[in-house]
Amino acid sequence: MKRASPWVMPLIGGVMLVALWYAVIGIFGFKSYVLPTPISILAAAVHERQALLAGALITGEGALLGFLAAVAGGFLLALIVALAAPLKQAFYPYILVFQMTPVIILAPVFVLWWGQGVPSIVAITFTICFFPIVANTTMGMISTDRNLRELFVLCRATRLQEIRFLRVPAAMPYFLIGMKIAGTLAPIGAITGDFLTGTTQNGLGGLGFMTIAYFSQLKIPELFATGMVACLLGFLFVGGVNLLHWFMLHRWHDSQRRNE
Amino acid sequence: MPPPPYVCLERVAKRFGTGPEVLSDIDAEIGLGEFVSFIGPSGCGKSTLLRLLAGLIEPTSGDIAIEGRKAAYTSAKAFFVFQEPNLLPWRRVAANVELPLMLRGDERADRKLRAQKMLDLVGLGEAADKFPWQLSGGMKMRVSIARALSVAPRILLLDEPFGALDEMTRDRLNEDLLAIRQRDPFTAFFVTHSVAEAVFLSTRVIVLSANPGRVAATIEVPFVYPRTAALRETPEFLEKLGVTSRALRAASVAEAPAS
Repeated sequence: MKRASPWVMPLIGGVMLVALWYAVIGIFGFKSYVLPTPISILAAAVHERQALLAGALITGEGALLGFLAAVAGGFLLALIVALAAPLKQAFYPYILVFQMTPVIILAPVFVLWWGQGVPSIVAITFTICFFPIVANTTMGMISTDRNLRELFVLCRATRLQEIRFLRVPAAMPYFLIGMKIAGTLAPIGAITGDFLTGTTQNGLGGLGFMTIAYFSQLKIPELFATGMVACLLGFLFVGGVNLLHWFMLHRWHDSQRRNE
Repeated sequence: MPPPPYVCLERVAKRFGTGPEVLSDIDAEIGLGEFVSFIGPSGCGKSTLLRLLAGLIEPTSGDIAIEGRKAAYTSAKAFFVFQEPNLLPWRRVAANVELPLMLRGDERADRKLRAQKMLDLVGLGEAADKFPWQLSGGMKMRVSIARALSVAPRILLLDEPFGALDEMTRDRLNEDLLAIRQRDPFTAFFVTHSVAEAVFLSTRVIVLSANPGRVAATIEVPFVYPRTAALRETPEFLEKLGVTSRALRAASVAEAPAS
């Protein structure tokens, strides 16, 4: 049997879902402020394109900055933890405490410190993205193959050489997994941050704030369109991280190779 | 007066934690340039002995001296060939061979040259730019040997390095190993399950019995070097093979009632 294009099945599935959507509206007679039709959502997206684009840029900026800060900070912290086990024992529980504190509670504090808007959104995104990167990278750095560590002992490698030439490369797959998780969380974090701390400066907030605005005006198709844009933003992030993942690992790591 | 022993094991014993003794009462004096094989049933502590000699672990009691000093202090002079190839998967073959040289701070040009030479030596000159996953198990093992040889070690510790190779490759690598040693002498400690390999390579075969590992027999192998493939067909070689096999069987039978 000839193999169908990988796009065929998802396309059929999509058509079926849209048909189901219309069927539900038709059968139950939902009003558009309960469940808008796909076409009205698309129309709202086109109609509100400028506001949505501006919102996506604000949210995207917050997500990207928070994500990058979490990647840099998380990697650095994992490195320190790998270098000194006592530091890990001393501070890891408090990283957990920080992670366990709900963002809803941290958000007003961040607003207090940095004011409304992008800085607070960045801080919230950072808070959400930081932990998966630290946890995964640390795991990678401390679970290096014992035989390889012995090899480095035999070579009389310094601690720094062991970190640089063994621990960090060996932790790369873990680090990238942490980045993947953080990448899916970053847009959500930024939208949550915007939702909690957003502002109407210049008459526009990020996507999170726009959901509040649209909802209060019962502009439900616009609300759905905002969700669609947020979804696209998420795909953009995940796609970017996947690309990086491939770039870093495709030459040597098992996860990136087809069986030959 | 005979020369003082190069490596000296004195009543060496090893247990891990509170477990049973893995090695007990090991005495041996090995001269400079000897090739010593350890052979014995599984669980006789062959690999443990090798790791003790490498200074990777400490004996529970007894002493290991190399050139009159403790093993750990002289580990710079020794290199280990592990049971598995133990290559870094993210480094190309040449970069893996260069690794020990890089870690000790050799110049890039020097180590590149040396790595290529070592790869040529093990017959993998063409594979320098490949990644480990692109090689077969046997090829990976050769890279591992090239890596060990790159530092021109005074002592080479080999932990069943050719166990996973087919017999022809194994024979060839045995011959190659002796040829390399002829040019660039090192003292070798070699763990194997193959009597033929042990006899072909060694100046001395030490047969260990298990539970705990003890020296059951020591067999001197007096054939002169350079040894070539032709040696394997001589009656003297076959006789030595018989003697060693019997000693190994005796060492394995001795522990059988325990199980």
